[in-house]
Amino acid sequence: MKKVRSGGISLFIVLLVGTLVLISAPARAHKVTIFAWVEGDTVFTESKFSGGRKVRGAKVAVFDREGTQLLEGTTDGEGEFSFKIPTLTDLRVALNAGMGHRAEWTITESEIREAGGREDVGEAGGQEEAQSADMPRQVSDDLSLSKEEIKELIDESLESKLTPIVKILSEMQTRGPSITEVIGGIGYIVGLMGVALYFLSKRKKNSGKGHD
Amino acid sequence: MHISEGILSAPVLVAGAALAAAGVAVGLKKMDPDAIPRVAVLSSGFFVASLIHVPIGPSSIHLIVNGINGLLLGWQCFPSIFIALTLQAILFQFGGITVLGVNTVNMALPGVICYYLFRGPVTHGRRIISLASAFACGFLAVFFSAILVALSLVWAEESFTAVAELIVVAHLPVMVIEGLITLFCVAFLKRVKPELLGGRHEKGA
Repeated sequence: MKKVRSGGISLFIVLLVGTLVLISAPARAHKVTIFAWVEGDTVFTESKFSGGRKVRGAKVAVFDREGTQLLEGTTDGEGEFSFKIPTLTDLRVALNAGMGHRAEWTITESEIREAGGREDVGEAGGQEEAQSADMPRQVSDDLSLSKEEIKELIDESLESKLTPIVKILSEMQTRGPSITEVIGGIGYIVGLMGVALYFLSKRKKNSGKGHD
Repeated sequence: MHISEGILSAPVLVAGAALAAAGVAVGLKKMDPDAIPRVAVLSSGFFVASLIHVPIGPSSIHLIVNGINGLLLGWQCFPSIFIALTLQAILFQFGGITVLGVNTVNMALPGVICYYLFRGPVTHGRRIISLASAFACGFLAVFFSAILVALSLVWAEESFTAVAELIVVAHLPVMVIEGLITLFCVAFLKRVKPELLGGRHEKGA
């Protein structure tokens, strides 16, 4: 009797869950991500709910290594927000999309250096570099391009070539859960149920033996 | 409605974890071996429901189905929702491990409240009363969750009323949809398995 009852219920709910899975096939999810990258002296950020919906009008705060807030802004209609790099340090970009949704992205100092951003801000260390940089520049006067100019040109073309890749990366970040993960999760739950029932059935058997 | 990591302060997290642990313990204690498959199946339902998005309004909202979970499981919806949220945190990165307790309480407690509020009316003989209370159960479970989320954010955001208003308004469509889902589930179960709604599965009740 009991078996029949729970059998029917399980069937009903399995069907229900099945339909839910099918409906959610283009799995969209519930998580926010922020993705930030450096181009020159500017940091660009892109904020999305996973599944690709843009986070509009959300607060973005930028912190330095020590956790002091450097600046703050709001995402635009495309979920984007960009700012000039204020100081040469590790930048922690935190998105607060409200209602308890939060995400972070860290840009390291070396990343900013590599992108050629704000060499002037790190003044203490920058002066020495400037002096040594002067010499090759003088030498290269008779050449058509200086080291810096070549570097700038390469950076420029690299940036434009890398932009689509950066976009793809940011999209990968915000992709919702895949069907495998969904099925996997349900599998875990069924597995847990199996484990619980297994131990209970063992206990039942043992207590049954005791009665005999 | 999952609160992300890094928003709440430690006392809120600890309080949430303690409450969730207590709720899960009560739920497990009340769990009858025969009820385990039901808990598992409703847990799967909760796990999957959060992937169904309601594309209305400015924010990102999804189904929660904690009303039907609470109505059918009572206190057992605590373990059910806890397991589902754990898997969501691990597999989907919704919420997070440290906020698991707070999120469990935010979703499961309204389920338990609705269980006590609506278990009686749902089994009422008059169809209209029964279905109306089923709708209210699904609707209010989400509403209570919204309030609890706003409450947990009190120490992180500026004002409770503003946050609560924002969350409640954003979730109005979900409340209506969940009311309807609960209504249809109850209508179906009344026809097929009326004893499921009787709350008989609870040892203590």
